[in-house]
Amino acid sequence: MCRLRVYRMLNNEPEKNATLRRSLYSVLGLVLMVLLFWASYANSKFAPKSKDFWEYIATTSIDKWLNNWPKWLDMPLQPWANSGLDWLVINYGIYFDMVNDFILSLVISIKDILTYVPWPLVILGVCLLTWFVSGKKRGTTLLVTLCMFFIGFLSPKFWDKALETTSIMLIAIFICLLVGIPTAIWMSRSARVRNAILPVLDLMQTIPSFCYLIPGIMLFGLGAVPAIIATVIYAMPPLIRLTDLGIRLVDEEIIEAADSFGASSKQKLWAIQIPLAMPNIMQGINQCTMMALAMVVIASMIGTRGLGDEVLLGLQQLNVGRALEAGIAIVLLAIVLDRITQAYGDRIQERTH
Amino acid sequence: MKIKKLMSAAVITAAASLASTAHADCGTVQMGDFDWNSAKLHSAIAGYILENGYDCNVEVTTGSTLPIMTGLYNGDLDVVMEVWYDNIVDQFKPYEDKGVVKRIGVNTPDSGQGFYVDGPTARKHGITSVDDMLKPEIAMLFQDPENDSKGRMTSCISGWSCYTINLVKHHSYGLDQFYTNYDPGSSGALDAAIKGAFQKQQPIFTYYWEPTALMGMVDLVKLEEPAYEQGTWDAMMVVVNDIKANGVEQLVKVDATAYRDMELPVGINTRLEREEPAVADFMSHYTISSADLSKLLVHYLDPDQADGEAELTARHFLTTSSDWESWVPADVAQKVKDSL
Repeated sequence: MCRLRVYRMLNNEPEKNATLRRSLYSVLGLVLMVLLFWASYANSKFAPKSKDFWEYIATTSIDKWLNNWPKWLDMPLQPWANSGLDWLVINYGIYFDMVNDFILSLVISIKDILTYVPWPLVILGVCLLTWFVSGKKRGTTLLVTLCMFFIGFLSPKFWDKALETTSIMLIAIFICLLVGIPTAIWMSRSARVRNAILPVLDLMQTIPSFCYLIPGIMLFGLGAVPAIIATVIYAMPPLIRLTDLGIRLVDEEIIEAADSFGASSKQKLWAIQIPLAMPNIMQGINQCTMMALAMVVIASMIGTRGLGDEVLLGLQQLNVGRALEAGIAIVLLAIVLDRITQAYGDRIQERTH
Repeated sequence: MKIKKLMSAAVITAAASLASTAHADCGTVQMGDFDWNSAKLHSAIAGYILENGYDCNVEVTTGSTLPIMTGLYNGDLDVVMEVWYDNIVDQFKPYEDKGVVKRIGVNTPDSGQGFYVDGPTARKHGITSVDDMLKPEIAMLFQDPENDSKGRMTSCISGWSCYTINLVKHHSYGLDQFYTNYDPGSSGALDAAIKGAFQKQQPIFTYYWEPTALMGMVDLVKLEEPAYEQGTWDAMMVVVNDIKANGVEQLVKVDATAYRDMELPVGINTRLEREEPAVADFMSHYTISSADLSKLLVHYLDPDQADGEAELTARHFLTTSSDWESWVPADVAQKVKDSL
């Protein structure tokens, strides 16, 4: 009996009160739908003049309903979102300004350090960093150094802009890692948490960026902070999904062996699950970096300076060459950031195997 | 007596039918629409009159400046309701000289551009002209979060020519010592930044233009600049074009003036004049003042009124105003009124 319960717990099977919980959720869902219908009818300008809803149903012909979606069956999300945002901006505007100032100061300090150092030293610094992080691999170091050099070689303007973009991307990727990996670890432990978070990840990846960028501008102001938020929202889901997958894919038998040796769940996580999930986690970080750099142009559309500016300018002036050059510089920057992180990941994996 | 009445009735009927056939053979009018609000409204109003007054079949194509204007030049489109002529003069003029396209009628007689400061701050500190902005304590009111020592002026996006013009103006008026000429990245971002500042009740110093909905919604005060003068403006534009071609190192100090109050014409492909002279005649009389248009734009965007429906705004305009009746012959006006 005890073993059955342990088995159920380990495999996240539902407990006995499942049916009661499910019927409670269905009732709540039904009540919510009825409330939404009532709200849409009450708020709609197109609601028929007659006060009695049932009279309207009785007198309207069925094909009029079927041919066009009834204009009053319109969930009033638009006015709710607008008034919600207004309320937020008017009442809590100062707190958002404080967050804005803080993150902006981080971005500016990193950017100032990078642009203050003369460019040969920056390239040398990246070269040395790659050399030691990758464990003295010549191929990777040469690739990264060349890519770094070509960013400036493509066009001298790009050097400072690339450093601006780097400072913003570094902070965005850091936030992704800080929030994403713990979330993924939490998701991997519980099926219920996973089912709750997966739709949120879907939303983060598909919702058009300007839907949350325009409110972001109204709350935080133009500049780096809405761009960082947009990048985090777009780049975090692949990291979370792959980390979660990596941890879940660790062989059941190894987990059972660890349990039989009396490992606590913290020991299991750090000594077994994460090291074995490393290839997937590194892929997640790679995807996160790539998607973060894909957001660079969108960032420039809300006033962030950087390589995205050049792409945008090329677009607006129909200068294909300029846009292409800037695009290639963004790719080179992505390769530099990615190879360094991958080299570090490979080294960690080599140590543990 | 009876025969006379019958004869006169017959004559009148014949005359009336002749008059109506003059408008009845309108075919399809291809209209080009842009992705900004004032153009959408013009297309909606003109389209409504064409469909209900002239019985034309109106097909609207929406797009950005470059593709729509190209459509006008190569004959895919017949009419574009709002041409910002000064901004595209280099491409428009060659086709105009060849007789392919024509500016016909003045759509908006007074469109303004300039530097604006939000009303409360302007009144509190007595700011009326750009010279009043040249003080450090005023500059700190508009402090740039990314550059603590300067204020920020949200300017045009770097793809618009006004960005370079503003750069030259800043240098000319001495504003560049105190303010950054900040590129907001996209027009949506510019609008959001201005609206956000008003909601948070923060000072804002920005470039903007009329006729726009934002002008109707927020309290912005235009700053006085040296009056427009053709010669000075042309000399300034030489420097502007030099910077656009050769980079920002070409920035030199040159006298600047306020932006000219531009007239925005209606642009047609001359084929429309030949094939549908009645429509072309209507287009040449079409005109709405900037103030009226800004009020219409507020109505257009207000969730409690038109809520983004261009056709509802067009109907509102046609029912509440009688200015439009002077654009069209009396029978067309009657047909439009009957359809409302």
